Amino acid sequence: MKTIADLELVGFFRQLASDYDIRVPVLLPDGGRAFGSIDDGALALGGGALPTKPTAVFFPQDDTLFAQGSGGELLVPEHSRPLFIAGFTALDLRCLKFIDRFFADGFRDDVYFRTRESAVVATVSGYCGPDGALLPLANGDCDLEFIALRGQWLVRAYSNKGEAIALLIPGEASADAVAEVGALAAIVNPDEEVIKAASALLLVDAVPDSFWEEIAVNCIQCSGCNLVCPTCTCFGVQDWRYADRLERSRMWDSCQLDGFMREAGGHNPLGTDALRTRRRIHHKLAADMTKWGELGCFVCGRCDATCPTGIGIVAIARQMVAQYGSFQAG
Amino acid sequence: MNASATVSLYTPRAAEIVSVADLTPEERLFRLRLCDGSELGHQPGQFVQLSIPGFTEAPISIASSPSRKGCFELAIRRAGFLTGEMHLKKTGDLVGIRGPFGNPFNLAELFDRELLLISGGCGLAPLRSLIQYCGDFPGRFGRVRILYGARNPEFILFRDDLQQWIDSGSFSCSLTVDNVTSGSCYEGATGFVHNLISTLDINPADCSAVIVGPPLMYRAVIDQLHCKGLPDDRIFLSLERQMRCGVGKCGHCTIDHLYCCQDGPVFRLDQLAGVKGAI
Amino acid sequence: MKRTLTVCPYCGTGCMLHLLSEGGRLIGVEPSSTHPISRGGLCIKGWNAFGFVHHPDRLTEPLVRKDGVLVPTGWQEALSMVVRGLQSVQARHGKDAIMFASSAKATNEENFLLMKLARRVFGTNNIDHCARLCHSSTVTGLAETFGSGAMTNSIDCIDRAKLIFVIGSNTTEQHPLIGSRIIRAVNKGAQLIVADNRRIRLSRHANLHLRHRNGSDVALLLAMMHVILAEGLEDREFIAARCENFEEFAAIARDWPPERAAAITGLGAEEVVAAARLYATSPAAMIFYSMGITQHSHGVDNVRAVAALAMLTGNIGRPGTGVNPLRGQNNVQGGCDMGVLPDLYSGYQKVSDPVVREKFRAAWGGGPLPETPGLPLTLAMNAASKGQIRAMFIMGENPIISDPDQSHAREALQSLELLVVQDIFLTETAQLADVVLPAACFAEKDGTFTNTERRIQLVQKGVEPPGEARADWQIICELARHAGSQVMNYEDTAQIMAEIASLTPAYGGVTHQRLAPYGLQWPCPSADHAGTPLLHTVQFSRGKGRFALIGYRQPAEMTDARFPYTLTTGRTYFHWHTGSMTRRTHLLHREEPKAFVEINPVDAAAIGVRNGGLVTVASRRGELTVAARVTGTVPEKVLFMPFHFMEGAANALTNNVLDPESHIPEFKVAAVSIRRGQ
Ligand SMILES: Cc1cc2nc3c(=O)[nH]c(=O)nc-3n(C[C@H](O)[C@H](O)[C@H](O)COP(=O)(O)OP(=O)(O)OC[C@H]3O[C@@H](n4cnc5c(N)ncnc54)[C@H](O)[C@@H]3O)c2cc1C
Ligand code: SF4
Ligand code: SF4
Ligand code: FES
Repeated sequence: MKTIADLELVGFFRQLASDYDIRVPVLLPDGGRAFGSIDDGALALGGGALPTKPTAVFFPQDDTLFAQGSGGELLVPEHSRPLFIAGFTALDLRCLKFIDRFFADGFRDDVYFRTRESAVVATVSGYCGPDGALLPLANGDCDLEFIALRGQWLVRAYSNKGEAIALLIPGEASADAVAEVGALAAIVNPDEEVIKAASALLLVDAVPDSFWEEIAVNCIQCSGCNLVCPTCTCFGVQDWRYADRLERSRMWDSCQLDGFMREAGGHNPLGTDALRTRRRIHHKLAADMTKWGELGCFVCGRCDATCPTGIGIVAIARQMVAQYGSFQAG
Repeated sequence: MNASATVSLYTPRAAEIVSVADLTPEERLFRLRLCDGSELGHQPGQFVQLSIPGFTEAPISIASSPSRKGCFELAIRRAGFLTGEMHLKKTGDLVGIRGPFGNPFNLAELFDRELLLISGGCGLAPLRSLIQYCGDFPGRFGRVRILYGARNPEFILFRDDLQQWIDSGSFSCSLTVDNVTSGSCYEGATGFVHNLISTLDINPADCSAVIVGPPLMYRAVIDQLHCKGLPDDRIFLSLERQMRCGVGKCGHCTIDHLYCCQDGPVFRLDQLAGVKGAI
Repeated sequence: MKRTLTVCPYCGTGCMLHLLSEGGRLIGVEPSSTHPISRGGLCIKGWNAFGFVHHPDRLTEPLVRKDGVLVPTGWQEALSMVVRGLQSVQARHGKDAIMFASSAKATNEENFLLMKLARRVFGTNNIDHCARLCHSSTVTGLAETFGSGAMTNSIDCIDRAKLIFVIGSNTTEQHPLIGSRIIRAVNKGAQLIVADNRRIRLSRHANLHLRHRNGSDVALLLAMMHVILAEGLEDREFIAARCENFEEFAAIARDWPPERAAAITGLGAEEVVAAARLYATSPAAMIFYSMGITQHSHGVDNVRAVAALAMLTGNIGRPGTGVNPLRGQNNVQGGCDMGVLPDLYSGYQKVSDPVVREKFRAAWGGGPLPETPGLPLTLAMNAASKGQIRAMFIMGENPIISDPDQSHAREALQSLELLVVQDIFLTETAQLADVVLPAACFAEKDGTFTNTERRIQLVQKGVEPPGEARADWQIICELARHAGSQVMNYEDTAQIMAEIASLTPAYGGVTHQRLAPYGLQWPCPSADHAGTPLLHTVQFSRGKGRFALIGYRQPAEMTDARFPYTLTTGRTYFHWHTGSMTRRTHLLHREEPKAFVEINPVDAAAIGVRNGGLVTVASRRGELTVAARVTGTVPEKVLFMPFHFMEGAANALTNNVLDPESHIPEFKVAAVSIRRGQ
């Protein structure tokens, strides 16, 4: 295991910039944090999960599918240098894994893998949460892991690409530090239990329609819950015809919108606020469970933070469990 | 951007319109051929994503049987943005095609059985692919009966085909319209298509039913089939949802955990048990 | 990748967001996670704010009309055509034969410059903007009663209000991040009264929903005040210490027992009593209103009545209270602040005041400034059709769709000798122009917007404008130079703000530098002043709060046997005004693709129309056919139509009758007939 001091990180990432397009958490002018290039603001690797969709680095809000010249010839976006992303939390990583599988399953989504495949993903863990709180270890599923421990970052590699990068770091971690990392406690998120209980309720169909009506009256259809979710992948398609070319792009869509499933003839299987709110929660907690054997919500808290009226998935799950009792999964 | 020949999941293949024919005041039949000369390679029940530059894409069922080589046919109702533009296209124009996509009719499950092919409105288009197939391989199926309901006489799809199917002796066809427009010389049955079922003699042990039509039709038809003793695992239906990708990614077509574009559009009714909002 | 912190271009809430771009192309937005209003959220329009920016329809080069058609040309030719045209009209018909229309979508700096261009370079006070059509009643009514025509409190106050009274505002749709804040407050225990005859989303959260008839607000409010006085619920101490003209006003209110109002409003007397008690007994009651109050031929009286209600109960000058007009456009507050008004310089300084004129004259390098107030936009249209206005310069507005009585507006613009339109798209209005100047959109320029709570915030450039398009402020400076004036040379917009600050007391302490990250709330008179979240704390801006005398007047056009339905107009959640941006934004357009009219199921049944079927709506001014949205949202005999859609333009029907003081048109009430459409 390698070690690098906090102050050396910027230099290290700069060094990588010759081979990679760097995305790291930076401090924004409004005091928030987000993925940015190394020169977009002060490096802010610590501070916990970023508030917006971390998987947007591979699946941006608006992404060109292809362009076509006036002669009909296909133009595909130039491949930029591979991405190096540091700043996923272990939780974000589970979300990434979830959508990696989604995009690979059946028809492989080459537009997603265009950037995903060549990317290097580095996780952050250890004492780098909000106010120095402990974040869970990734223990794999990424190329590199940066583990914060008293002013230093221990660096662990899990892939060849990760190894190659770790080699650039001269410092070797001390045996004590390695032992300390080994002894870090697992972290239990109490909300995860609530989500599981809610999932169990939905899977046995124990939640009546009236519940969804009660919740949905609060929804202002901002679409934010979907747009910050690391595992939401729905998109719409748009064509723009310029004088010299056609551009077809896809952009994030939201199942909280009436037009999401409205058909040309006007029929709409999701035609009410209540049906749409049910679909949002049901999809993550029941449908994904049935399809993938795994919940589609990893309880990152983003939708609860962005929802202007406070009906993110955890808030709803809490109310559901309070009203309809708790079932133990399995 | 670079010019490139790389083919992506989302780039359509060019197809040429070989012929265009009016079916009804709102529906036209387009015969198409892939420009690279290859076969579409579909199975009855599948659909393509039809693409027109500037108008994005729409899912359209393939209305012809794979046994008819060289070309394939799409019957398209003028319903909005893309379909409206398609109706302006003429012979020789190029459009884009992705696919074929979706779960087809499982022919193995239909072979050697009596078939009841029930459709309403636009639903006759995907069924036509199966009907043509049955016609081309008459020995493989039992008796094939076609029940079709249209809004009114003006909107009867594939009029010539229907006549030809009857004439061929391979099929029996029953036709009904919801109501007769004044001044029409239509002399056939009126009423909804599910009303045609009650008078049929059906051997529930040997019969499979296929239903394709507007959402409202399904419940009524299924109820009638249940009355006749048909079990859910021999009722097949094709569901439509908004589809933006056709390949299980865009999320618009989901019905609980099912993706209509991948798990469907053709479902066996027992697979939909407990799936809310499917029909 | 690049990110740019800027302000949402849509509503007056003023959420801030980061524009994300890659190689000069916008690829998305992220909400500002720490902003005091957006707090990490945005509404659907904010989330899609980047969606129209690179649209192929963007104007990329100046256009001039040759042989009847608009053809591309260079900037030099276009600008000199504009200047020569304006000057020639002025030479023949006088200085005041031209009119400038500014834009609540443009920045403060741009509005200030257009104001300067009109007054200093072209010597006319004929300048106005769309605030005339939305909140001119507020500016007039609140200036008279409080001395300041802006929100008295801040959005943050919602969290401290014990009761919220929303009248004439569909807040969750038109100011979504304020509406959602109200829902949150109610879920946490605040009480809510909604007065609106449509069953808007907020009404489903209300303790009391008053569905009073359109245009009966004055009767409702006077009757509430009657109850308050009759039951002794008024705040006598506050009235005595802080207000004037109370006794004269009380005499009027005492004339309005709830029973009298009931006949006009259609409400039960007990509903009015309940509302009065709820409001008056709350320890902190906050009023929100919007165009349901202002867009009437008695809009100013409506505003006066609202102001009186707050003063009567002492609900002003404290956190969680106040009279809070929600300003529609992202920068309509700023437009007013910058003096793109025919009678006011920036900071509401009167053009008729010689001292003020002298101040501006001296700062702008001498030369005379026009003395008499100019024409309001709504009167300018009339003047154009009469040949008194011969040329118009319109920056970022689309009056063909947004003005009342569409055929009249079109006729007025067509009768001009010269029409210049500066815009980002070839709007319906630009299609009529003689010269079209391509402008940069919000994402392509720097400057400031002032939101509804008087918060001046920084707008920053994320990407380059398309083709030859330029920022409005640059175009205006070029125009001044073409007119031979050297008084408008600026390096950047920060320099313009320095000039604004030096001439506008409420902005005196504002510099771009000080605005990072979330701006300052005016008044901010000096460099060491932290801004003012709460107005009228110790005394009103005008000294004493004035109870203005009002009387009930019915809407100009009442229903009758020929036109038995009341039509009210407004906006939908997904579109912005004339739709030039939102109808070109994929998701927003998909949600609301076409024109519609809301109609009650009983009325729909009466004419045999089903949901989605066609209805022909006719008024004395015109008729049109749109799809019916059959819904209990509207009561019987009332229709609602959004005005976004050219192909079903509600303003073909509306009544161009104006409030006599604010000159606002009566968009909210017109008498119409309906029949089944073909
Ligand atoms: C499996 C399947 C098979 C089908 N088979 C057939 C068939 O055989 N024949 C047939 O006629 N129909 C068929 N349909 C229905 C057909 O797909 C729809 O009628 C068609 O999608 C309508 O598209 P439209 O663009 O014409 O209609 P619209 O209602 O205009 O558009 C439909 C979609 O396009 C979007 N859209 C509209 N305007 C724009 C715009 N300006 N920019 C971007 N997006 C826009 C809408 O938001 C909506 O999502 C089938 C559908 C399915 C799911
Ligand atoms: S974030 Fe909240 S208000 Fe917005 S769409 Fe989701 S549930 Fe509705
Ligand atoms: S509430 Fe207004 S300012 Fe905020 S995101 Fe929506 S439109 Fe923009
Ligand atoms: S059509 Fe896109 S997921 Fe099915």
